[in-house]
Amino acid sequence: MKRFLLFVALAAAAGAAAAQAWPSRPLRLVAPYAAGGPIDISARLLAAKLQESLGQPVVVENRPGAGGNIGVDLIAKGPADGYSLVMSAIATLAINPSLYPGLPYDPLRDLRHVTLLVQVPNVLVVSNDLPAKNVQELVALAKARPGKLDFGSGSSGSTGHLAGEMFKMMTGTYLVHIPYKGSAPALADMMAGRIHLMFDNLASALPSIKSDKVRALAVTTLKRSSFLPELPTMDEAGLKGFDMTTWWGVSVAAKTPQPVVERLSAEILKAMAAPDFKERLHNMGSDAPAIRTPEQFTSFVAAELKTYTELVKRSGAKAD
Amino acid sequence: MEGIFANLGIGFVEVFKLQAVTIAGMSMTLPFNILMCLIGVILGTLIGVLPGIGPVATIAMLLPVTFNLSPIAALIMLAGIYYGAQYGGSTSAILVNLPGESSSVVTCLDGYQMARRGRAGPALATAALASFFAGCVSTLIVAMFAPPLAEVALKFGPAEYFSLMVLGLVSAVVLAHGSLIKAIAMVILGLLLGLVGTDVNSGVLRFAFGISEMADGIGFVTVAMGMFGIAEIIGNLEQKEHREVFTDKVGHLWPTKDDFKRIIGPTLRGTALGSALGILPGGGALLASFGAYTLEKKVSKNAHEFGKGAIEGVAAPESANNAGAQTSFIPLLTLGIPSNAVMALMIGAMMIQGIAPGPQVMTERPQLFWGMIASMWVGNLMLVLLNLPMIGLWIKLLTVPYRILYPSILLFMAVGVFSISNQPFDCFLMALFGLLGYVCVKLECEPAPLILGFILGPLMEENLRRAMLLSRGDPFVFISPSKPISLGFLAASALLLIIIALPALRKKREEAFAAEEQA
Amino acid sequence: MKIKSPRDFWAGLMFVTFGLFFLVVAQMNYQMGTAVRMGPGYFPTVLGGILAVLGAIVLVGSLAVEGPRVAKFHFRPLLFVLASSLAFAYLLKPLGLVLASAALIFISAYGGHEFKWKEVAILTAVLVVFAVVVFVKGLTLPFPICPDFIEICPIR
Repeated sequence: MKRFLLFVALAAAAGAAAAQAWPSRPLRLVAPYAAGGPIDISARLLAAKLQESLGQPVVVENRPGAGGNIGVDLIAKGPADGYSLVMSAIATLAINPSLYPGLPYDPLRDLRHVTLLVQVPNVLVVSNDLPAKNVQELVALAKARPGKLDFGSGSSGSTGHLAGEMFKMMTGTYLVHIPYKGSAPALADMMAGRIHLMFDNLASALPSIKSDKVRALAVTTLKRSSFLPELPTMDEAGLKGFDMTTWWGVSVAAKTPQPVVERLSAEILKAMAAPDFKERLHNMGSDAPAIRTPEQFTSFVAAELKTYTELVKRSGAKAD
Repeated sequence: MEGIFANLGIGFVEVFKLQAVTIAGMSMTLPFNILMCLIGVILGTLIGVLPGIGPVATIAMLLPVTFNLSPIAALIMLAGIYYGAQYGGSTSAILVNLPGESSSVVTCLDGYQMARRGRAGPALATAALASFFAGCVSTLIVAMFAPPLAEVALKFGPAEYFSLMVLGLVSAVVLAHGSLIKAIAMVILGLLLGLVGTDVNSGVLRFAFGISEMADGIGFVTVAMGMFGIAEIIGNLEQKEHREVFTDKVGHLWPTKDDFKRIIGPTLRGTALGSALGILPGGGALLASFGAYTLEKKVSKNAHEFGKGAIEGVAAPESANNAGAQTSFIPLLTLGIPSNAVMALMIGAMMIQGIAPGPQVMTERPQLFWGMIASMWVGNLMLVLLNLPMIGLWIKLLTVPYRILYPSILLFMAVGVFSISNQPFDCFLMALFGLLGYVCVKLECEPAPLILGFILGPLMEENLRRAMLLSRGDPFVFISPSKPISLGFLAASALLLIIIALPALRKKREEAFAAEEQA
Repeated sequence: MKIKSPRDFWAGLMFVTFGLFFLVVAQMNYQMGTAVRMGPGYFPTVLGGILAVLGAIVLVGSLAVEGPRVAKFHFRPLLFVLASSLAFAYLLKPLGLVLASAALIFISAYGGHEFKWKEVAILTAVLVVFAVVVFVKGLTLPFPICPDFIEICPIR
């Protein structure tokens, strides 16, 4: 018995020591997108903060491709030692598994989700030329002109794309999806009236909304946004239960030891609480998410995965 | 009009403002923004000269540093890096045939040939002066016409972009001086190679063969280093005789009076074209440099010298690419839309600072807006003052025996390409493209049209498909009277094609007749 | 059928090969879609086809019109230069910047005409110092400087 207890104590100490010893060399944070986008920028902000608190360099690596799948797969299949992190997002964890047949990783089995970093609402914006001043008018217009209205998105499989599909499904209308490489060119085409509407994330659409280049009709969350308090929610405007956010966070390979995951989570939360980091995330339209622990994050991912798998199936959305 | 000068005044005050800063524990009062500008342009020049590492990677790495700077200091420094890299890219293009930036590809054609003939000094000077002139003029254009030009930019939809790119591709054919058919084939091969990667419209991974490193396509740097750099080095090593690559007879460091006369026209035309095309988000500035080269080749009295060291072939693209670099800030500053990857990073930097990029920046934060514009002029001045004296240094470098020079060049290239994603695969690709470039040279197929096709290919396809989606499958949308810009570009392409084809056809007919008579 | 212009013959063959390659891969793997919604296979197929046709034209032309021979291949510089880049790339992570650079410099120098051991060694030393100072310290590129099995130096 004593020997058994000793063994357990030693194992626990070893585990704690492993967590203590980690990190002993540089970490890599993979951002599966090209440099400059909001996820990449928040990755760099986070890396700078983590570097300070962990005492080891945190190097951001851009591995773009296939909507983010390449970068996430790299970490999922890589060593589970806590030195390789990835910026995982709604697209790579919840949407792509059902949108892209043959995805090389399973978001729940191959990955361990550490912390949710950012959660931003999407906004339904329309071109100024479109004769629709609120959601109801838009729905009426869409019903009167099936197949004539175009909606843009930042990429196939993005929340903007799926929000459009959800809208189509709930209102029984037919809009044509026009994918772009990023929200900015889509917004530009909308300002010029070449496309009619899009669901864009708050941070990227806000400047254009504020300067009246485009018209905002509703936010896609259940609660109104503090940035645009006069804007109704989709739920209030008649699409009951419409609740979509764009989110991203940090994940690691599934078999990463629990103490490492917990230490990582604590450090990231600490970084997020720092006033300057908090302010910068706030500038992106995000406030501290209520979801804090890895377990909460994992349940959240599982729930989102279920929602979007359903949505993709029912709406027949394709990656085109 | 006075409004402009008043605004520029605000800008200059902001740029030269003395601020109290604490560096390394010591407080001092410095014109901090100017210092940031200087650091930016020096850093930009350095990374422009070093092959492989570009402004995108550098700015991305420096983003955390900008958090602690004031918004204007941060943006001034980042902007300095961007156009400093343009200057630096020209230097490496002229000295070692390595285009630092995609817009420097065209400068390689004549600039490098000038260097081989001992005229590196005049080439570098021309590049610096033409760039400076273009920078001044285009900064003024940005100051005076930013909002209306932004409106013009908005008029360009996918159909217009596609037609513009067709025109660009036809111009790319003009770049070659050999067989017309082979040039067109090289362009198409370039287009195809550019399609490797993730398809925008469908998200499908094309031609990647399961290699995850190719998921985002083959990088421009990799192809350029391979086809221009490696192929050139191997070619030079082939000379059995002990003959130096760069002739010992290094001429004047400065352009002659005759040179000056020759570069005035190209510089003016290049500036105009560059300023115009730079405002188009997505590919405008690239087209500017080789559009200017094509234009010069067609209007110049010395067209036969192009490709062998014509000084116009340096002045035109250099002024165009620098003008384009300045005016590409317009969509960013007025609409909040990025023209290229660097601008996207700048938007990121602005957003981190809490500034929402868009039209309201001009009214809500005039110091920021005008300070940036003033800094562009100051930056250009610094760059020309930095680069001109360095010409002597660069010339000295060229006198180093080639057997010492080329391993150094190779090392820098390898480091640069490796650093793209810290994987050996990119260097492997570079070697592969080096082999391809070498083979192409042996088969008398020119690499420049391929590179241009490579850059334009994915953009062309994206715009073609989007235009077709929006027009619901109507192919006549490109020449429809409701889209005069698109119609205009396509008509110009057809015209240019005819102008190019006629002499070639005539020659082929003559050859055929001669062969017939001999038989 | 005599090949009158070997240079054009091989150029044409190269183009035909590339063109057919892209066309076949595209046809086998990617959807063509319709003219309205062009699939990922549309553009590559069309372009591949055009390239193949152009290549065929060049090929046929080479049988009819006199032209020069293919310029001589010099395999030594070709192989050594390519090998040096590959050596650097694949040795950098395991052996560090110092050794990988040395490999590149020595191999590429060996591919040239004049190879003097002392000269190349000095060049290597100079370039390695430059590389470490500028790239690793200055630009903070994450390259390991020393091989994995040497612990003393600052491994990044």
